[in-house]
Amino acid sequence: MTALQPTDASTKRWFRLFSFRALLVVAAFFWIAPIIWMFSLALTPNDVLRTVTTSLVPIQPTIDNFLSVFQVGLTPRWFLNSTIVTVITTVLTLILCSLAGYAFARLEFRGKKIVFPFVLAGLMVPKEAMFIPLFLMFAEVEMHNTHAALFLPRIAAPLGVFIMTQFFRAIPREIEEAAELDGASRWTIFWRVMLPMSAPALTALAIFTFVLTWNDYLWPLVSATQKEMFTITTGLASLQGNFAQATELGSLMARGVVASAPLLILFIIFQRQLIRGISVGSGGK
Amino acid sequence: MRDQVLETALADRPKAGRKGWWFKNRDTVDGYLFLLPFLIVYIVFVIFPVLQAVYMSFFDWDLLAMQNRSFIGLENYVTMLWGREMTWDLQHLWPWRLAIAGLVGAAWLLVADKTFKRITAVWLTVISLIFIVVLGVHPAADAGRWNDALFWSSLGNTIQFVLLSTPLIVGVGLLMALALNGGGRFFGSLRTMFFAPYVFSVSVLTLIFGFLLNPQRGILAEFLGYFGIEPIPWLTDPNLAMPAIVLATLWWTVGFNMVLFLAGLQDIEPQLYEAADLDGANTWQKFLHVTIPGLRRTLLLVVILQIIASFQIFGQVFIMTRGGPGGSTRVLIQHIYESGFRDFDLGYASAMSIFLFLVMFVVSYFQFRIGGEE
Repeated sequence: MTALQPTDASTKRWFRLFSFRALLVVAAFFWIAPIIWMFSLALTPNDVLRTVTTSLVPIQPTIDNFLSVFQVGLTPRWFLNSTIVTVITTVLTLILCSLAGYAFARLEFRGKKIVFPFVLAGLMVPKEAMFIPLFLMFAEVEMHNTHAALFLPRIAAPLGVFIMTQFFRAIPREIEEAAELDGASRWTIFWRVMLPMSAPALTALAIFTFVLTWNDYLWPLVSATQKEMFTITTGLASLQGNFAQATELGSLMARGVVASAPLLILFIIFQRQLIRGISVGSGGK
Repeated sequence: MRDQVLETALADRPKAGRKGWWFKNRDTVDGYLFLLPFLIVYIVFVIFPVLQAVYMSFFDWDLLAMQNRSFIGLENYVTMLWGREMTWDLQHLWPWRLAIAGLVGAAWLLVADKTFKRITAVWLTVISLIFIVVLGVHPAADAGRWNDALFWSSLGNTIQFVLLSTPLIVGVGLLMALALNGGGRFFGSLRTMFFAPYVFSVSVLTLIFGFLLNPQRGILAEFLGYFGIEPIPWLTDPNLAMPAIVLATLWWTVGFNMVLFLAGLQDIEPQLYEAADLDGANTWQKFLHVTIPGLRRTLLLVVILQIIASFQIFGQVFIMTRGGPGGSTRVLIQHIYESGFRDFDLGYASAMSIFLFLVMFVVSYFQFRIGGEE
């Protein structure tokens, strides 16, 4: 009897481990079921969806809904707007933040003790709260319904500066000094030495900025009021809650899939960098 | 030693012989050249709008006739915060005021624990005391009323959302991180699945959930039907709409908190668990005495980030319910948005923006203190 006990215990342990993992798999399935459902509806013909809407596998699968995205409505235009605004925002954010971060990390300029806290104070300004004065500012120069109005308020990211500053500070000084001995100018050191070395931080910041900009809702809603200037996020929102939802559910869900496709692809490729961006950017690490 | 050699070498190189103001101040010149592009957009699009909002909040500023604005002093703030026949008494909103007092007590316990600095707790106490006194002010029961009752109901709904979502999304995020904190492909792919909804935009979230919660055609009603539960009209029942929004937000953003907790778990020394094992601690004791103390800073950070994010809730409700049914999900940003762009009252909308800004500023200040103290 006693001889059996070890086996018994290990069976028990194995069973516990197995059931824990099985439970996690079931939970994960339920967690992503809404996503599977969106894809399933997007692949189902609209007339089938008038009767059945709760299947996780498409009934009579078709890609007609996706074709209609590019034939009917403004979705391709919105997609283009989002792409332009997001790419420009990301690139400019990287440039501005790395330049400023380098200055704060490495240059002993006068007034740094005032300017750095001044920039950090920007972390405490909530983006969502200040859309009224921003609206007025762009209205006065008649710049609403332009791409510039959508990206300009988004490129001043104090958080990005902070991340880059921290990263540049961690790079050993010897590397720069070696370059300086070779007669490299400050710009060359920044461009040829520091920037390539900060690729991990830049990637994390880029992915993070890309996701936030693509998904931005309130500011595009306020600034881009003409249908042609909607981003995919505000455009998709404008399609909801009206008649189309009842009769063209499949087309609507296909637009949802198209709207999230760039981020899903980006997420699958750069998952690690995005997660790093979150933990670095939130002050978790 | 090596540094000295380098410094001599640097000092000896030909360039170092140059003189003049530019050379002496080259770090300052370069510093501002590198900073200039950022500083310009930062001042124009982050700092200036705050000042502009303060300025606008003192005006009757009509969106349609912007030239006709007139200075009205603090009237917008009076409209927002005051009413007719105001009184003060000790009992009004007493559970809330008691809760705030409890918060102060907790903060002082954290000071003893060295999580907070004393000065942070002093500030928290001062601000809380002001709140405890101010919350006694209200319109008299019979004749009084608020100038803008919608502001208070929007603020109330926002606070309701914050109070429902914060414990839930933080707690579930922690549970997920604990359950999925394992090596290997199995846990890696599960983490990916639980995090995935975070990459959706708010309009994709509402597209999925607006329909998922639909009592006639949604997948949730179908699922609950297997257990014999009648379809629930989530978004059209005033009592259920906000909880439904909270659940949608949980699904959407909990992955973010999970990631922060997972990062925090990596920072706990494995030796601590080994030592606990040697002492014969069980899983629960290890959780209570090793994991929770080790995650204390992360926990505080996540709670504060969640409060900041929850206070700015807008998209989910604006797209799914437009603030309905019966105003039960109308939130502060929606009230600001509609005051500005539906009622064309930019001055009043600015005053409320400043209010939101101050609330956020106070919360972020504590985040800053926690972040800066380690």
